[in-house]
Amino acid sequence: MIPFDYRRPDDIGTAVATVTGNPRAAFLGGGTNLVDHMKLGVAEPELLVDVTGLTSRDIERLPDGGLRVGAGVRNSDLAADPLVRERFPVLAQALLSGASGQLRNLATTGGNLLQRTRCVYFQDVTTPCNKREPGQGCSALEGYHRHHAVLGASRQCVAVHPSDLAVALAALDAVVRVQGPGGERTIPAETLHRLPGEHPERDTVLEHGELITAVDLPGLPFGPRSRYRKARDRASFAFALVSVAAALDVAGGLVRDVRIAFGGLAHKPWRARLAEDALRGRPAAPDEFRAAAEAELADAQPLRDNGFKVPMARNMLVSVLTELSAEDGAA
Amino acid sequence: MTSATSPTSTTPVTTPARTSEEAAGGIGSSPVRPDGTTKVRGEFAYSSDLWHEDMLWGATLRSPHPSARITGLDIAGALAVPGVYAVLTHADVPGVNRYGLEQPDQPVLAEDVVRYQGEPVALVAADHPETARRAMERIRVDYEELEPVTDAQAAAEGKGPAVHPGGNVVRHVPIRRGDPRATADVVVTGTYEVGMQDQAFLGPESGLAVPAEDGGIDLYVATQWLHVDQQQIVAALGLPPEKVRLTLGGVGGAFGGREDLSIQVHACLLALHTGKPVKMVYNREESFYGHVHRHPAVLHYEHGADRDGRLVYVRARIVLDGGAYASTTGAVAGNAATLGVGPYDVPNVSVDCWGVYTNNPPCGAMRGFGAVQAAFAYESQMDKLAQACGLDPVEVRTRNAMSEGTVMPTGQVVDSAAPVAELLRRVRDMPLPAGPSGEPDLRRLPGGVSNTTHGEGVVRGVGYAVGIKNICFSEGFDDYSTARVRLQAVGGEPAATVQTAACEVGQGLVTVLQQIVRTELGVEQVTVEPMDTSIGSAGSSSASRQTYVTGGAVRAAALAVRKGLLGRVGHVPGELSVSGGKVVSTRDGVLADIVDVLGDDVLEETVEWRHRPTESLDPETGQGTAHVQYAFAAHRAVVDVDTELGLVKVVALDCAQDVGKALNPQAVLGQIQGGSAQGLGLAVMEEIQTDGGLIRNPSFTDYLIPTVLDMPPMNIDVLELADPHAPYGVRGVGEPPTISSTPAIVAAIRAATGKPLTRVPVRPEHII
Ligand SMILES: Cc1cc2nc3c(=O)[nH]c(=O)nc-3n(C[C@H](O)[C@H](O)[C@H](O)COP(=O)(O)OP(=O)(O)OC[C@H]3O[C@@H](n4cnc5c(N)ncnc54)[C@H](O)[C@@H]3O)c2cc1C
Ligand code: SF4
Repeated sequence: MIPFDYRRPDDIGTAVATVTGNPRAAFLGGGTNLVDHMKLGVAEPELLVDVTGLTSRDIERLPDGGLRVGAGVRNSDLAADPLVRERFPVLAQALLSGASGQLRNLATTGGNLLQRTRCVYFQDVTTPCNKREPGQGCSALEGYHRHHAVLGASRQCVAVHPSDLAVALAALDAVVRVQGPGGERTIPAETLHRLPGEHPERDTVLEHGELITAVDLPGLPFGPRSRYRKARDRASFAFALVSVAAALDVAGGLVRDVRIAFGGLAHKPWRARLAEDALRGRPAAPDEFRAAAEAELADAQPLRDNGFKVPMARNMLVSVLTELSAEDGAA
Repeated sequence: MTSATSPTSTTPVTTPARTSEEAAGGIGSSPVRPDGTTKVRGEFAYSSDLWHEDMLWGATLRSPHPSARITGLDIAGALAVPGVYAVLTHADVPGVNRYGLEQPDQPVLAEDVVRYQGEPVALVAADHPETARRAMERIRVDYEELEPVTDAQAAAEGKGPAVHPGGNVVRHVPIRRGDPRATADVVVTGTYEVGMQDQAFLGPESGLAVPAEDGGIDLYVATQWLHVDQQQIVAALGLPPEKVRLTLGGVGGAFGGREDLSIQVHACLLALHTGKPVKMVYNREESFYGHVHRHPAVLHYEHGADRDGRLVYVRARIVLDGGAYASTTGAVAGNAATLGVGPYDVPNVSVDCWGVYTNNPPCGAMRGFGAVQAAFAYESQMDKLAQACGLDPVEVRTRNAMSEGTVMPTGQVVDSAAPVAELLRRVRDMPLPAGPSGEPDLRRLPGGVSNTTHGEGVVRGVGYAVGIKNICFSEGFDDYSTARVRLQAVGGEPAATVQTAACEVGQGLVTVLQQIVRTELGVEQVTVEPMDTSIGSAGSSSASRQTYVTGGAVRAAALAVRKGLLGRVGHVPGELSVSGGKVVSTRDGVLADIVDVLGDDVLEETVEWRHRPTESLDPETGQGTAHVQYAFAAHRAVVDVDTELGLVKVVALDCAQDVGKALNPQAVLGQIQGGSAQGLGLAVMEEIQTDGGLIRNPSFTDYLIPTVLDMPPMNIDVLELADPHAPYGVRGVGEPPTISSTPAIVAAIRAATGKPLTRVPVRPEHII
């Protein structure tokens, strides 16, 4: 770890101005990811600007039946919130399937979204990695990559985004509220994270110094019929191999509406638009689900050791939609 | 038999009723461990808690490369950092810059080459760990990288560059018995692989070295064998043994990973150089580089049997990747070879096992020590054979089960209980867990609380395995322990103290030694003194041997003290014994209080105790009575597999094991549960990932070990068939459950999925 300064400004404007004005400054949330990276030498900020006291720790109701989640809300509090559990069970489930109780007590909504990939080469400064040092090359391409991407990757980077929360937010059409030096802007959660392309060093579309202040969850009438599923290498406390967030609205045996996002497949939460489009108006039946999943995954390009993610994602989606449709029919 | 609903509620054990005159807390009971409460409350002082006013912090600069020539080394920048007291390289090693358990092939600090990633190159002592770290960044090492040797198979065949001057084969062990060209009606073959497992002890390597006025050093350290550390330190420091004194620090688990040196010589060098106490503690990542791992293995097997499934021959070729230095590779290879056909009676055997050097991480001792790798292969083969013969997996095993009197592939005659068939029958006859009914409890389904399945696509499978392990050190090793027992009156009560150098590594040895003395001297108050080198060696806390050997030594010392005590009573009618603080005669009952017989005197005896000797193996034929004792455990695993996602939930992992005599029934259960859990880890998740000799997952985020949600409750059935050659009839307990757990789980997954599964750990991608 290199020496660094620590500041706790009184207002958001100062925090944003401070980080914007210093390329080696960083916001600090719960620190569960950033501090690890500082210990590993992956991040070397000279100034930490603690925003946990600045960003809201409240969950407010929105007029459309949605919720506004302050960026400072801890993952445990968000998962335990009665309104979240009632209106967006997928969100609570996603959070609870991530990390451990202790970590969730510290981790913030903003920090969780901006946690960085768990690619082992990214975290090991002795190995080449385009995300850490553009131009070095990607060690994972031919290396240890069973956790890596099968969709939307580039030759520059095949990492996946590790956040479970982000997958649920992408499925729920959440909107990320951001404060920058020029004022506030909103970004659909689905487009917050980028595909690696030629610039794998950039995880998101945020500019340096832009602060996440809140996440809006628009009202979703069938939000209560949503699920998060996650496959991992042990029963708890492990990152996703594949996960899926889904919400399903069935009427008269037909899919009226559906939201699907995958985790563990790409450099960003993978909103399954192809599958959603294929399903709307179709019978809510397993072979339809399977066909939709296959349509979504048709372009998958697995690496040497991660081909299993494709059938895993397909089977997981079929199974979760089947379960949701059964529940819907019963309701 | 015990039946339990949660892993912690297992109640012991077929233990014969005790007679009332035995001292409370004696053998056969499960008294509270002296270290138990403090460990649970987080108050136990581990070696990483050691502290000394005025101490410095030591740190180790390690090679980032698996194979390289060092062409330059410049420490000037580091020495210039304020707060740095010493920067040392190989040139500062005053004695022999080599150490090793079997052969001194490993430099204390690298000279002109490095042979694995993480090899120590230089040391720093500084006023703060952070100062030391920054100083290390200022040490300049020029490496000329070399192509690492990573293919163990090629190394065994003598191909590729030599990692050490003598070539890459550390040891080749052939075993030949019967007809090498035997043929059979039914033949099954298979190639199996075992990944590199880590001991994953929770307390990282740590210790404190304090320079002494006599020019010597006092080292407090977490280790498994104080005297073998001392021997190696003495050679490296060039000091006489009496100037290198070791005391055991609080040990947070070992499992074989503390048999080799880690911080020992380094901390002493820094302390002697600076004249100040030096503390060293690895962090988790460094710990992965700082100790040896379980040998990864490739095993080719051919089993021939008659149509009834009776084995005619077994042929096997086993390659164990020892990594960059020998460590205990030779002995591990000896075990894999001599135990290579498993607990079966096989007339014709031809096994070849190679332990080899590569530039992969060094491998050595880990619970099960060679027997684990072989068992995965031979038990997989037994299931194949069962299928080929149309037999049930238990039936094919019991038909071939060895028993007392069986001649092993080494020619050794098994001369105590070998209840292999009985153990299998016992696990088979345990009640099977109920299938899911009603709204399933997610925690009991594959994927657990991740909500991956609600029962659809889930298939259940049942698998069996039985394993064999040698107990104590083998192949002619002079295996002994030293114990001193003292008896005196303290405050009007008889009190005993026990002194040994045997390492308590968490297994509960301290408690067992107390129990032995209570039973033999009839006193309740027994103190176990800190373990150090002021007494003779106790041998290693490994090979499931410490209760057997140090227990044997303590018993012998206690008996000698008792003899002295009773001698003071003089000649009285009847036979004398001690119990409840009294001297008792068979004819007249209580004769005297022990304290009165003692008066102000202290009775003390020191005994060096050996188990019966073993023989080395014939280097051509592998014949010889190489092992002291064999131990056996059998498992039945029940798994639910989510075949759509490839996820496995081990629903039940039941075990039957013969322990000869359960000196402490609760500790026996703890060993069986822990060993089984470690076997589960190897079966479905634990593996150090290497690529090009580099470790890719040196953290507990990336190297996964089972949690309480992964490990099912166990039914445990403990047999006590006394071994007449062993003190109290004990049979080593710690390793056997690790051996059969893994293959039983994999057999169950195969039964559920029909997949071949020839490699552990089994991952979703092998099932889906
Ligand atoms: C062992 C382990 C296991 C884990 N398992 C999982 C898992 O299974 N699933 C999962 O999803 N996660 C998992 N995590 C990751 C965990 O969820 C994240 O570390 C956590 O959510 C990060 O939140 P934080 O507040 O601590 O972020 P920090 O570490 O404080 O910050 C992370 C990043 O976000 C930036 N930042 C923080 N707040 C803001 C803001 N308001 N606006 C703009 N930028 C900001 C920081 O500058 C930094 O770059 C695991 C972590 C560990 C250590
Ligand atoms: S996958 Fe991305 S993060 Fe991983 S090594 Fe390649 S470039 Fe770096």
